Amino acid sequence: MEIGKGKIVIPERIKAGDVIRVQAVVQHPMDTGFFRDANANMIPPFFVQDVRVTYGDEEIARFEWTSGVSRDPMISFTVKADREAPLTFTYKDNTGKTYQSSVPVAFQPS
Amino acid sequence: MSQQSENGRRDFLKAVGVAGAVVALEGVSAGGRKLSARLVRGPEDPEPPNEIVAKILKDRFGDRTIQRGHLTLDMAKMNEDGRYVPVSLESDLPMAADKYITSVYFIIDHNPDPLVFAMHLTPRIGPLAIQTRVKMRRTSWIRAICETSDGELWADYAKIETTLDGCG
Repeated sequence: MEIGKGKIVIPERIKAGDVIRVQAVVQHPMDTGFFRDANANMIPPFFVQDVRVTYGDEEIARFEWTSGVSRDPMISFTVKADREAPLTFTYKDNTGKTYQSSVPVAFQPS
Repeated sequence: MSQQSENGRRDFLKAVGVAGAVVALEGVSAGGRKLSARLVRGPEDPEPPNEIVAKILKDRFGDRTIQRGHLTLDMAKMNEDGRYVPVSLESDLPMAADKYITSVYFIIDHNPDPLVFAMHLTPRIGPLAIQTRVKMRRTSWIRAICETSDGELWADYAKIETTLDGCG
Protein backbone atom coordinates (compact mmCIF):
# COMPACT_ATOMS: atom_id res chain seq x y z
CA MET A 1 0.00 0.00 0.00
CA GLU A 2 1.25 3.42 -0.88
CA ILE A 3 -0.12 5.68 1.85
CA GLY A 4 -1.58 8.88 0.48
CA LYS A 5 -1.90 7.67 -3.10
CA GLY A 6 -5.23 8.95 -4.28
CA LYS A 7 -7.52 8.84 -7.25
CA ILE A 8 -10.31 11.17 -8.34
CA VAL A 9 -12.93 9.96 -10.78
CA ILE A 10 -15.07 12.46 -12.70
CA PRO A 11 -17.21 11.91 -15.83
CA GLU A 12 -15.29 11.64 -19.10
CA ARG A 13 -17.47 14.08 -21.00
CA ILE A 14 -18.33 17.31 -19.22
CA LYS A 15 -20.17 20.33 -20.63
CA ALA A 16 -20.01 23.79 -19.08
CA GLY A 17 -22.66 24.04 -16.37
CA ASP A 18 -23.04 20.29 -15.77
CA VAL A 19 -23.47 18.99 -12.26
CA ILE A 20 -20.86 16.26 -12.10
CA ARG A 21 -20.32 13.43 -9.62
CA VAL A 22 -16.86 13.49 -8.10
CA GLN A 23 -15.56 10.34 -6.45
CA ALA A 24 -12.30 10.43 -4.54
CA VAL A 25 -10.38 7.56 -2.98
CA VAL A 26 -7.17 7.76 -0.96
CA GLN A 27 -5.03 4.94 0.38
CA HIS A 28 -4.68 5.25 4.13
CA PRO A 29 -4.89 2.71 6.99
CA MET A 30 -7.15 4.98 9.11
CA ASP A 31 -5.95 3.21 12.29
CA THR A 32 -8.17 3.89 15.29
CA GLY A 33 -5.56 3.16 17.97
CA PHE A 34 -7.75 0.38 19.41
CA PHE A 35 -6.34 -2.54 17.39
CA ARG A 36 -3.26 -4.63 18.16
CA ASP A 37 -0.83 -6.11 15.66
CA ALA A 38 0.18 -9.81 15.47
CA ASN A 39 2.62 -9.32 18.38
CA ALA A 40 -0.10 -7.78 20.56
CA ASN A 41 1.43 -4.30 20.35
CA MET A 42 -1.03 -1.43 20.11
CA ILE A 43 -1.19 0.10 16.66
CA PRO A 44 -1.16 3.87 17.32
CA PRO A 45 -3.92 6.07 15.87
CA PHE A 46 -3.05 7.06 12.32
CA PHE A 47 -5.77 8.63 10.22
CA VAL A 48 -6.60 11.46 7.84
CA GLN A 49 -8.28 14.23 9.82
CA ASP A 50 -8.55 17.16 7.43
CA VAL A 51 -9.51 17.20 3.76
CA ARG A 52 -9.65 20.30 1.57
CA VAL A 53 -11.20 20.32 -1.87
CA THR A 54 -10.22 23.15 -4.19
CA TYR A 55 -11.59 23.94 -7.64
CA GLY A 56 -9.15 26.24 -9.35
CA ASP A 57 -7.96 28.54 -6.57
CA GLU A 58 -11.22 28.37 -4.61
CA GLU A 59 -11.83 26.07 -1.65
CA ILE A 60 -15.22 24.48 -2.33
CA ALA A 61 -15.39 21.99 0.56
CA ARG A 62 -13.63 20.97 3.73
CA PHE A 63 -14.12 17.69 5.58
CA GLU A 64 -13.32 16.80 9.19
CA TRP A 65 -12.57 13.09 9.37
CA THR A 66 -11.84 10.76 12.28
CA SER A 67 -10.65 7.18 12.46
CA GLY A 68 -14.34 6.24 12.18
CA VAL A 69 -14.03 6.65 8.42
CA SER A 70 -13.21 3.29 6.78
CA ARG A 71 -9.73 2.23 5.67
CA ASP A 72 -8.83 3.64 2.23
CA PRO A 73 -11.49 6.36 2.51
CA MET A 74 -13.91 6.91 -0.34
CA ILE A 75 -16.08 9.99 -0.68
CA SER A 76 -18.43 10.96 -3.46
CA PHE A 77 -20.49 14.12 -3.98
CA THR A 78 -21.61 16.49 -6.73
CA VAL A 79 -19.94 19.65 -8.03
CA LYS A 80 -21.17 22.36 -10.39
CA ALA A 81 -18.67 22.28 -13.25
CA ASP A 82 -18.81 25.93 -14.30
CA ARG A 83 -15.21 26.48 -15.41
CA GLU A 84 -12.16 24.64 -16.61
CA ALA A 85 -9.83 24.30 -13.65
CA PRO A 86 -8.13 21.56 -11.68
CA LEU A 87 -10.05 19.82 -8.90
CA THR A 88 -7.63 19.08 -6.06
CA PHE A 89 -7.98 17.07 -2.85
CA THR A 90 -5.46 17.75 -0.07
CA TYR A 91 -5.46 15.21 2.76
CA LYS A 92 -3.73 15.86 6.07
CA ASP A 93 -3.30 13.07 8.64
CA ASN A 94 -2.85 13.27 12.41
CA THR A 95 0.95 13.05 12.06
CA GLY A 96 0.88 16.24 9.98
CA LYS A 97 1.72 14.62 6.65
CA THR A 98 -0.18 15.90 3.64
CA TYR A 99 -1.08 14.09 0.46
CA GLN A 100 -2.55 15.56 -2.69
CA SER A 101 -4.36 14.30 -5.76
CA SER A 102 -5.72 16.35 -8.62
CA VAL A 103 -7.74 16.00 -11.81
CA PRO A 104 -8.37 18.62 -14.51
CA VAL A 105 -11.98 19.59 -15.24
CA ALA A 106 -12.01 20.18 -19.01
CA PHE A 107 -15.07 20.79 -21.17
CA GLN A 108 -15.85 18.78 -24.30
CA PRO A 109 -16.47 20.88 -27.40
CA SER A 110 -20.17 20.34 -28.19
CA MET B 1 -87.72 -30.86 1.74
CA SER B 2 -84.34 -30.82 0.15
CA GLN B 3 -85.23 -27.52 -1.54
CA GLN B 4 -86.08 -26.03 1.83
CA SER B 5 -82.86 -27.17 3.47
CA GLU B 6 -80.91 -25.82 0.52
CA ASN B 7 -82.58 -22.40 1.02
CA GLY B 8 -81.86 -22.55 4.73
CA ARG B 9 -78.21 -23.22 4.07
CA ARG B 10 -78.02 -20.44 1.54
CA ASP B 11 -79.57 -17.97 4.03
CA PHE B 12 -77.18 -19.15 6.67
CA LEU B 13 -74.17 -18.74 4.38
CA LYS B 14 -75.43 -15.32 3.32
CA ALA B 15 -75.76 -14.25 6.94
CA VAL B 16 -72.32 -15.55 7.79
CA GLY B 17 -70.92 -13.90 4.70
CA VAL B 18 -72.35 -10.51 5.66
CA ALA B 19 -71.15 -10.89 9.22
CA GLY B 20 -67.73 -11.88 7.95
CA ALA B 21 -67.62 -8.87 5.69
CA VAL B 22 -68.59 -6.62 8.60
CA VAL B 23 -65.88 -8.14 10.79
CA ALA B 24 -63.38 -7.73 7.97
CA LEU B 25 -64.39 -4.09 7.44
CA GLU B 26 -64.11 -3.41 11.14
CA GLY B 27 -60.69 -5.01 11.14
CA VAL B 28 -59.59 -2.75 8.32
CA SER B 29 -60.90 0.38 9.99
CA ALA B 30 -59.28 -0.64 13.28
CA GLY B 31 -56.07 -1.19 11.39
CA GLY B 32 -56.50 2.22 9.79
CA ARG B 33 -56.93 3.88 13.14
CA LYS B 34 -53.83 2.18 14.47
CA LEU B 35 -51.88 3.32 11.44
CA SER B 36 -53.02 6.94 11.73
CA ALA B 37 -52.17 6.95 15.43
CA ARG B 38 -48.70 5.80 14.50
CA LEU B 39 -48.39 8.52 11.88
CA VAL B 40 -49.37 11.16 14.44
CA ARG B 41 -46.58 9.97 16.71
CA GLY B 42 -44.17 10.41 13.80
CA PRO B 43 -41.48 8.14 12.45
CA GLU B 44 -39.42 6.33 15.05
CA ASP B 45 -37.34 8.78 16.98
CA PRO B 46 -33.82 7.95 18.14
CA GLU B 47 -33.10 7.09 21.74
CA PRO B 48 -31.95 10.07 23.86
CA PRO B 49 -28.32 10.95 23.11
CA ASN B 50 -25.68 9.61 25.49
CA GLU B 51 -23.37 12.01 27.34
CA ILE B 52 -20.73 12.28 24.59
CA VAL B 53 -23.30 12.73 21.82
CA ALA B 54 -25.20 15.31 23.89
CA LYS B 55 -21.96 17.26 24.27
CA ILE B 56 -21.27 17.12 20.53
CA LEU B 57 -24.80 18.34 19.77
CA LYS B 58 -24.47 21.13 22.35
CA ASP B 59 -21.00 22.20 21.07
CA ARG B 60 -22.03 22.25 17.41
CA PHE B 61 -25.64 23.44 17.58
CA GLY B 62 -26.15 25.04 21.02
CA ASP B 63 -29.80 24.94 21.97
CA ARG B 64 -31.17 25.27 18.45
CA THR B 65 -33.99 22.95 17.41
CA ILE B 66 -33.13 20.08 15.11
CA GLN B 67 -36.06 19.17 12.87
CA ARG B 68 -36.53 15.91 11.06
CA GLY B 69 -36.81 16.23 7.29
CA HIS B 70 -35.16 17.46 4.07
CA LEU B 71 -32.27 15.04 4.64
CA THR B 72 -32.40 11.37 3.70
CA LEU B 73 -30.04 8.89 5.32
CA ASP B 74 -29.90 5.72 3.28
CA MET B 75 -28.12 2.74 4.83
CA ALA B 76 -28.68 -1.01 4.92
CA LYS B 77 -30.54 -1.95 8.14
CA MET B 78 -28.11 -4.79 8.73
CA ASN B 79 -24.37 -4.78 8.02
CA GLU B 80 -22.17 -7.84 8.47
CA ASP B 81 -18.85 -6.01 8.43
CA GLY B 82 -18.58 -3.04 10.79
CA ARG B 83 -15.33 -1.98 9.10
CA TYR B 84 -17.04 -0.98 5.87
CA VAL B 85 -20.55 0.35 6.29
CA PRO B 86 -21.79 2.21 3.19
CA VAL B 87 -23.56 5.51 3.81
CA SER B 88 -25.67 7.57 1.42
CA LEU B 89 -26.95 11.05 2.27
CA GLU B 90 -29.25 13.12 0.10
CA SER B 91 -31.14 16.35 0.52
CA ASP B 92 -33.71 18.36 -1.44
CA LEU B 93 -32.47 21.62 0.09
CA PRO B 94 -31.09 24.14 -2.43
CA MET B 95 -27.38 24.71 -3.01
CA ALA B 96 -27.86 28.30 -4.26
CA ALA B 97 -25.64 31.27 -3.49
CA ASP B 98 -28.24 32.79 -1.12
CA LYS B 99 -29.33 29.58 0.58
CA TYR B 100 -27.30 26.40 0.82
CA ILE B 101 -26.19 23.62 3.11
CA THR B 102 -23.13 24.82 5.00
CA SER B 103 -22.37 21.67 6.95
CA VAL B 104 -23.25 18.01 7.27
CA TYR B 105 -22.58 16.08 10.47
CA PHE B 106 -22.60 12.31 10.81
CA ILE B 107 -22.87 10.85 14.31
CA ILE B 108 -22.83 7.18 15.36
CA ASP B 109 -24.02 7.11 18.99
CA HIS B 110 -22.13 4.01 20.12
CA ASN B 111 -18.81 4.56 18.35
CA PRO B 112 -15.76 5.46 20.48
CA ASP B 113 -15.58 8.75 18.58
CA PRO B 114 -19.25 9.41 17.74
CA LEU B 115 -18.78 12.37 15.38
CA VAL B 116 -17.42 10.26 12.51
CA PHE B 117 -17.19 13.03 9.95
CA ALA B 118 -18.29 16.59 9.28
CA MET B 119 -18.38 18.22 5.86
CA HIS B 120 -18.32 21.96 5.30
CA LEU B 121 -19.70 22.96 1.93
CA THR B 122 -20.07 25.97 -0.35
CA PRO B 123 -22.59 26.73 -3.15
CA ARG B 124 -20.03 25.36 -5.65
CA ILE B 125 -21.19 21.94 -4.52
CA GLY B 126 -24.18 20.56 -6.43
CA PRO B 127 -27.36 19.06 -4.92
CA LEU B 128 -26.40 17.12 -1.80
CA ALA B 129 -25.76 13.46 -2.68
CA ILE B 130 -22.93 12.09 -0.59
CA GLN B 131 -21.66 8.53 -0.53
CA THR B 132 -18.95 7.23 1.77
CA ARG B 133 -18.01 4.33 4.06
CA VAL B 134 -17.70 4.35 7.85
CA LYS B 135 -16.81 2.01 10.71
CA MET B 136 -19.30 0.88 13.35
CA ARG B 137 -18.54 -0.70 16.72
CA ARG B 138 -21.98 -2.21 17.28
CA THR B 139 -25.65 -1.72 16.62
CA SER B 140 -26.38 1.95 17.09
CA TRP B 141 -28.61 4.87 16.32
CA ILE B 142 -27.13 7.08 13.65
CA ARG B 143 -27.79 10.81 13.35
CA ALA B 144 -27.21 12.73 10.14
CA ILE B 145 -27.67 16.47 10.63
CA CYS B 146 -27.26 19.27 8.13
CA GLU B 147 -27.08 23.00 8.76
CA THR B 148 -28.25 25.60 6.24
CA SER B 149 -26.81 29.05 5.63
CA ASP B 150 -29.82 30.61 7.40
CA GLY B 151 -29.24 28.50 10.50
CA GLU B 152 -31.86 25.76 10.08
CA LEU B 153 -30.96 22.27 11.27
CA TRP B 154 -32.43 19.26 9.46
CA ALA B 155 -31.83 15.65 10.39
CA ASP B 156 -32.56 12.04 9.62
CA TYR B 157 -32.06 9.12 11.97
CA ALA B 158 -31.74 5.37 11.60
CA LYS B 159 -31.00 2.41 13.84
CA ILE B 160 -28.41 0.30 12.05
CA GLU B 161 -27.30 -3.17 13.09
CA THR B 162 -23.84 -4.57 12.68
CA THR B 163 -22.34 -7.89 13.74
CA LEU B 164 -18.59 -7.51 13.26
CA ASP B 165 -16.95 -4.78 15.36
CA GLY B 166 -15.18 -2.38 13.03
CA CYS B 167 -13.53 -0.20 15.67
CA GLY B 168 -11.37 -2.64 17.67
